[in-house]
Amino acid sequence: MSRFLFVVPPFTGHVNPTIAVAAELVRRGHDVAWTGLPGATQALLPEGSTFLPATTAEVAAYVDAAGDRRPDLRGAAAFKFLQEEVLLPLADAMVDGVDAAVDAFGADVLVVDQQALAGAIVARRRGLRWATSATTSAELVDPLDGLPLVAAAMHQARVDLQVAHGIAAGDAAQGDLRTSPHLVVAYTSEALVGPVPGDAPIAFVGPSTLGRPEADDLDGYGLDPDRPTVLVSLGTLNAEAGARFFTVAAEACRDQPWQAVFVAPAELVPDPPANVVVRSRVPQLALLERCAAVVSHGGHNTVCESLAAGLPLVLAPIRDDQPVVADQVVRAGAGVRVKFARVKAEPLRAAIAVALADPDLRAAAARIQASFHAAGGTPSAADALEGLLPG
Amino acid sequence: MTDVDTTAPDAASVLAELERILTEVIGDDLLLDEPLSMATSFDEDLQLESIEFVALAEKLLDTYGERVDFVTWMAGMELDEIIALTVGQVVDFVVASLSGPAPAAGSPAEG
Repeated sequence: MSRFLFVVPPFTGHVNPTIAVAAELVRRGHDVAWTGLPGATQALLPEGSTFLPATTAEVAAYVDAAGDRRPDLRGAAAFKFLQEEVLLPLADAMVDGVDAAVDAFGADVLVVDQQALAGAIVARRRGLRWATSATTSAELVDPLDGLPLVAAAMHQARVDLQVAHGIAAGDAAQGDLRTSPHLVVAYTSEALVGPVPGDAPIAFVGPSTLGRPEADDLDGYGLDPDRPTVLVSLGTLNAEAGARFFTVAAEACRDQPWQAVFVAPAELVPDPPANVVVRSRVPQLALLERCAAVVSHGGHNTVCESLAAGLPLVLAPIRDDQPVVADQVVRAGAGVRVKFARVKAEPLRAAIAVALADPDLRAAAARIQASFHAAGGTPSAADALEGLLPG
Repeated sequence: MTDVDTTAPDAASVLAELERILTEVIGDDLLLDEPLSMATSFDEDLQLESIEFVALAEKLLDTYGERVDFVTWMAGMELDEIIALTVGQVVDFVVASLSGPAPAAGSPAEG
């Protein structure tokens, strides 16, 4: 029996993939716990989970407020804000609490999200075995390739952060807090990501979220079993920012031979066409089983769950890792891209029609689906993590 | 084309060409809000993504030849410079690149 501590950022998409992996480790006789910001993160975990808050509630409130300021930012400005105003301060604020959590829980192995760098700092400082939990695949292939000055500045900021927390400068400059030299668990497949440069020890395990429990209320949606269904989702963080997009998407669907389920607050789609159902939450896995295509912002979990169901995608990436993930899907041949901020109803309608009808897109989605099955999912992730335990 | 005219194009013609290129890269809805101008920013106004910068670099190369090495130019930028990058700066870069000496035939590409 060993103790695995998951170090997570306060983002749903980064916490969810750890839940099934942790459950599998428990099934194999290990102990698991999470550490992160108090409040919302803990609420994402199953009842009875061990959660050790790494900071005060003030830090959680700061990150929430930062998130509220972000919807207007895109591209490089959003990247700068995420790094400088969210991830680096978050890491700085979490180090002492993660360190205390390691002691309190008696952790043998840390499982560190790429956006919870405090875990990597603590593991390096204490000489603990640690795994990177790559809950999005965007950082596996460096998105700053081609911008060496930006990459160098980001690297230096992470070196400075380590030095500030007691790691010798020479050691801090080695390696990368985002990539453990022991193990990188990637919840995707090489067939989707493409070739990864370098020699990081990556375990491609496929999505781990496919078995999560859901409250299946689909019978109340009034879906026509004889019509193809399209899921339209902008994920958990972006629904509010999507007012324009949902309006356009509703027009795109009007009078079409398909039906659509929008994951959106009802007030954002005030007068939906007859073939559009609007729900603020959906049992996504069950719904995907009934869908024929998906319109997504390119969030890693929704994309991988859609491909795991063999569904082609229309991708409207907004910011951060989403353009990278969207690009992976397009290059794999399993989706088409539209411009989130500018797309109009007519081209979006055409893109949905292509996603529903094009046999090549469907074949590519089926190839990714097969690659996910072969990757093994949650048991493979647990195998890889158990591999970090001493003899 | 690599046999560039000895008379380098002026800013106005490069701006017009850049508008054509960006329309290809981004799509017809490029000019949804207002016409492209020297002050238009790539990040805030056009919301150009990294993959679209790659496409822009390729199209500049196709249009003006290897003297317009956008990739190397952008590689020299800090994050704040990328955030603040305007159409006017790219126009000036293209004009300046084309008014410099032509590369010797057979010289290796930079970068």
